[in-house]
Amino acid sequence: MTNFLRIKLSGAVLLAASAVLTAQQPAPPATSQQPTSVELRLTGESGTPPRLAVPDLLALSSDRETQEAARAISQVLWDDLNFEREFALIPRDTYKSIPAAASIEAVPFDRWRELGADGVIIGTVQKTDAGIRIEMRLYNVRARQSAFGREYTGSAANPRIYAHTMADELHDSQRQMRGVARTKLTFISDRNKEAVLATVEKRDVKEVFIADYDGANQRRVTINRTMNLTPSWSPDGRSIAYTSYRTGVQDILISNIFAGTMESPTKGVGQNWLPVFSPDGTRIAFVSTRDGNSELYVMNRDGSNIMRLTNNPAIDSTPTWSPTGTQIAFTSDRRGLNQPQIFVVNADGTGLRQISFESYADRPTWSPAPYNEIAFAARTGPGFDIKILGIASGETRQITFGEGSNESPAWSPNGRHLAFMSTRAGRSQVFTVDRDGRNLRQVTRDGNNTMPHWSQ
Amino acid sequence: MPKVSAPPDANTGRRRGRRVTTSLAEINVVPLVDVMLVLLIIFMVAAPMMQKGIEVKLPVSRRADKLTSVRPYVSVPMSYRTDQRVWIDDEPVRADVLAERMRQLMESRTDKDVFLRGDAGVTLQELYEVIDHLKAGGVQNVGVTAQPRAGQ
Repeated sequence: MTNFLRIKLSGAVLLAASAVLTAQQPAPPATSQQPTSVELRLTGESGTPPRLAVPDLLALSSDRETQEAARAISQVLWDDLNFEREFALIPRDTYKSIPAAASIEAVPFDRWRELGADGVIIGTVQKTDAGIRIEMRLYNVRARQSAFGREYTGSAANPRIYAHTMADELHDSQRQMRGVARTKLTFISDRNKEAVLATVEKRDVKEVFIADYDGANQRRVTINRTMNLTPSWSPDGRSIAYTSYRTGVQDILISNIFAGTMESPTKGVGQNWLPVFSPDGTRIAFVSTRDGNSELYVMNRDGSNIMRLTNNPAIDSTPTWSPTGTQIAFTSDRRGLNQPQIFVVNADGTGLRQISFESYADRPTWSPAPYNEIAFAARTGPGFDIKILGIASGETRQITFGEGSNESPAWSPNGRHLAFMSTRAGRSQVFTVDRDGRNLRQVTRDGNNTMPHWSQ
Repeated sequence: MPKVSAPPDANTGRRRGRRVTTSLAEINVVPLVDVMLVLLIIFMVAAPMMQKGIEVKLPVSRRADKLTSVRPYVSVPMSYRTDQRVWIDDEPVRADVLAERMRQLMESRTDKDVFLRGDAGVTLQELYEVIDHLKAGGVQNVGVTAQPRAGQ
C-alpha cells in the first residue's frame, strides 16, 4: 500500500512539474518596443509595421533643378526607408490617383487613408540664393497631425543626402534604431581597365573605390596603378586603410580621403597586409611576415607600438575586431592544411580559442552590438557561401545558397545588413543582404568589384 | 501459546500453509508499478496537448486585424456607376486604390480569396472592372455571392 501511494505521489509531482514546464514553454510573443517617452509615434495595425507613403515633394520653385530634386528626394527617401524594413512602404506608382497636397499643411488625409497608409511624408523643395531649402513632415494619417518634421538647407549639388539624413532621423525618432542611409561602402574595382592598358607586370591593376550604401555616387579613391586590396574604413569615415603593391611588395597604406593625403604606418618594414581599424580608431590589426611567418599584429595608427598576437607555424590572417575592441577574430589553418577555421584571441594575445568547426571557413567579420555574431565565407561546394555564427549560441546559419560564389562579407554599422561579393550576376559584384538572408540588392555593376567594407 | 510451545518438527505443514497466506495478503507491487508508469507516460504526453485549451484574455485593440480565416467582402453598390467606389467590408474605397488595398490585405494571408458582392443592378462589365482590380492586387479566387431572396 505504501509503495502504491509513493508511486502515485511521485507520479503526481512529475505530472505537475511537466504541466508547469509546458505552461512556460509558449513564451509571450515579442512585441514591438513600447514608446519610452510621450511622443507622437506612428504605429501600424496590431503590431504590423506602419504603412508609409512617400509622394513626390512639392516643388515651390518652377525651375527644372528644383523639380528634379523634389522627385529624386522622395524616391531616395522611399528606398532608404524600405531598406531597413521598419516601415511597410506603399509602392509609389499607386499614388497617381491621389491629388498632390496643396501645401505642406493641406494634405488630403482621407485619400491617403483610403490607400491604407498609416503615415504619409509630405514635403516641399524651394530654391534659395545659397542652394535649396527642404521641409519634410511625417503625418499620422489617422490622427491627421504631424508626428515628425525636419527642415534642411544647403547645396543643391547632391539632393540625395537630404533624403538619407531624413531617413536616418526618422528611423531614430520613430523606431529608436540607427539607420545606415548616410553610410558608405568601400571596395576594390578594376573598372578603369588599366590592367588591359598597362604593361604585363601591371596586369593586376585594381583600385580602391567608395560609394553610398545604395551604390550611388561611386568614386575612385586611389591612383596607385597597381593592385590594391582589402580596404577598411576608419571609424570616423575619413580614412581608408588598404593593402597596396605600390612599392612592389604588399604593404599597408592609409588614404585620408578628405585631406587627400596618404600615410604608410608600417614604413616598409616586412610585408604587411589586411589592415583593420579598431572600433575606437586608435589601433590597426594587420597581418605581417616580418618575423618569417604570416602572423597577426596590432599597432597604433601611426605605426608605433607594434605587438605580435599569434605565434604558430600555420598561416594566420584576416583579422576582425570585436565591437568593444577587446578581442580579434581571425582565420588560421593551424588545425590542418587547407582547412582554415576561425579563431578568437584577446587583443593582448591571450585567450586563444577556436570558434568555427566548418570544413573550410574564411574571412570573418564581427557584427556590431547587439547581435554578437560573426559572418564568414564557408566553402560549400565549388564556391563559397556566407554563413553567420552566433558567438553566444554557437549556432551557425547560412544566408546564401550556392548562387555563384559568395565571399568577403562585411557588416553594416547597425548589424542588420551585410555587404559581400558574389559572382551570381556573372562577374564579381558587390551585393547587400539583410542578416536574415532577405532583401538582396546589387550595389555595383561596372567591371569586377570585390572586397566591400561598410563605413561606421 | 500452544503454538509457541509446540515442538518445531510437529507442525511443519501448518507453518508452510501460514507462509502462503501471508504472502497472499500483500499487494503484488510489480504489475502496479507497470500500470502506474504507463499512466504517468500517458499523462506526460497528454499534458502539453491539454495546454491548448488554456483560457487567455485577449488584449483589446481598437483596430485589430480580422481573423485571417474570415475572407474580406468587396461590395459593388449601385452607386459604383457614378462615383467609382466599392466597399471593402464596411469601408468605402475608390476603385483606383482597390488593387493596392487588396495587395496589403493579401500580404499576410495564405488563402488569396475574396468574396465579391455585386448589386443586382451592376452590369457584368462593371463587375469585371472590379475583378481586374482584385486580380491586380494579388487575389487568386473571387467568389461572387448573392443575397438570399428573403432579404429583399
